[in-house]
Amino acid sequence: MLKEPETPNQRPGVCIPWEEKVQEMPDLTGDEALIRRVWEEVDGLAYTYVWHILVSF
Amino acid sequence: MPDDTEALYAERFTRYTTAMRNGKPDKVPIRPFVAEFTAAYTGRTCQQVTHDYTEAFDAVIECCRDFDWDAAVANMVYVWSGLTEAVGLEYYGVPGIHIGPQTGFQYREPPEEAAFMKPEEYDALIADPTGYLLNVWLPRVSRDVVAPGEPNTSRSSLSLLKGGMATMQYFTALGGQVERMRTETGTVNALAGILKAPMDILADKLRGYLGLVDDVLNRPEKVKAACEALQPHLAHVAATSADPSKTVPITMWMHRSCVPFFSYDHFRDIHWATLKPIIEYLTGEGWQVMFYAEGKWGHHLESFAELADASIIYHCDRDDIFEVHRALGEKFCISGGVPNDLLAFGTPDQVRARCKAIIDGVAGNGGYIMDAGAIIQNDAKPENVQAMTEFTREYGVY
Repeated sequence: MLKEPETPNQRPGVCIPWEEKVQEMPDLTGDEALIRRVWEEVDGLAYTYVWHILVSF
Repeated sequence: MPDDTEALYAERFTRYTTAMRNGKPDKVPIRPFVAEFTAAYTGRTCQQVTHDYTEAFDAVIECCRDFDWDAAVANMVYVWSGLTEAVGLEYYGVPGIHIGPQTGFQYREPPEEAAFMKPEEYDALIADPTGYLLNVWLPRVSRDVVAPGEPNTSRSSLSLLKGGMATMQYFTALGGQVERMRTETGTVNALAGILKAPMDILADKLRGYLGLVDDVLNRPEKVKAACEALQPHLAHVAATSADPSKTVPITMWMHRSCVPFFSYDHFRDIHWATLKPIIEYLTGEGWQVMFYAEGKWGHHLESFAELADASIIYHCDRDDIFEVHRALGEKFCISGGVPNDLLAFGTPDQVRARCKAIIDGVAGNGGYIMDAGAIIQNDAKPENVQAMTEFTREYGVY
């Protein structure tokens, strides 16, 4: 079994966890799931970058 | 050989994937991991194919056009030094900059006292591996990136911006290269997805080999915990860079976590104990993993035999391929076994003799792929690579 993340920061694919980001935002007026999904997709690009520098380059 | 490129591709694809699943295809597949060889063969320098990936891509296509290979790597010159220079990475000797233009790029491990990760930083890595990489490791390995808390610079911002955009550009371009191989030469892209073992990553990029040797003796529990912390991230990188159709394998590049670099106990209790769950996760999801066993891993074949049948392809470098076949051949496809020094210094007749011995001794029931032991660089003679290809194509028929 792979080690389970113990904190949001330890989750694969995550640089700035949504739980942290949402605290900085005003009260959301619309679809939070949409905002979260796109946040996590774009945040994941930075994750991909730094981990590929480590593993691939 | 079919005239139609798509039919040729289909034939090669079936041949390659059948062998990888330890089956018996129509012929022994040929899948050389040609790296700087593509430069030498096509009249380019190592500098050209390392610094400009479009040159590397064209060199691969030109080779695939001339050689009857079933599969090849889209770009085996895996460090795009244009990217690493833009990021400011300190750890490469780049052809044309630090080393001669006809020498393949070199990884420069720092001295032990200047290791990229300090021994007292294990807890920080374990607590937040991604945060550690971003905030501590990247500023150390890049001459431009500034650590949090230090005065920021435009060079630091530019390194991150350029690095991110260039990586995206390169990964996108690789997709186009795979399509070119298929449509222009009917050649299968040999692999997709990258994995390295947690303990190898610790040695290669973080603590250095000597630092890790000190660590396994003086703080082994930290080493084990760090490997466990890296596990889910390395599995994620492998899965998200892998073939979505799960037909070509993820490749695990195996480095120094074996006897004699480390002891049997270190291999078993740290390296294999933390790597095996990653392999089982990936193969459980339906991918195969190629164990690219650079050097000699023959002391550990029993451990690898614990894995599920046909879950891996075992690539043989300096080990005795006949022993490897005896130990693992019933379970896994084997590849490799043609020594790189034979391709560099031998004769075509010697290469043909070696290929015959391997085909006779290893490929009889299928489950074998012809290749050199290690990536083929610019010292390999083209006539020897041609001999390996042509002989295998003629003799390796089931």
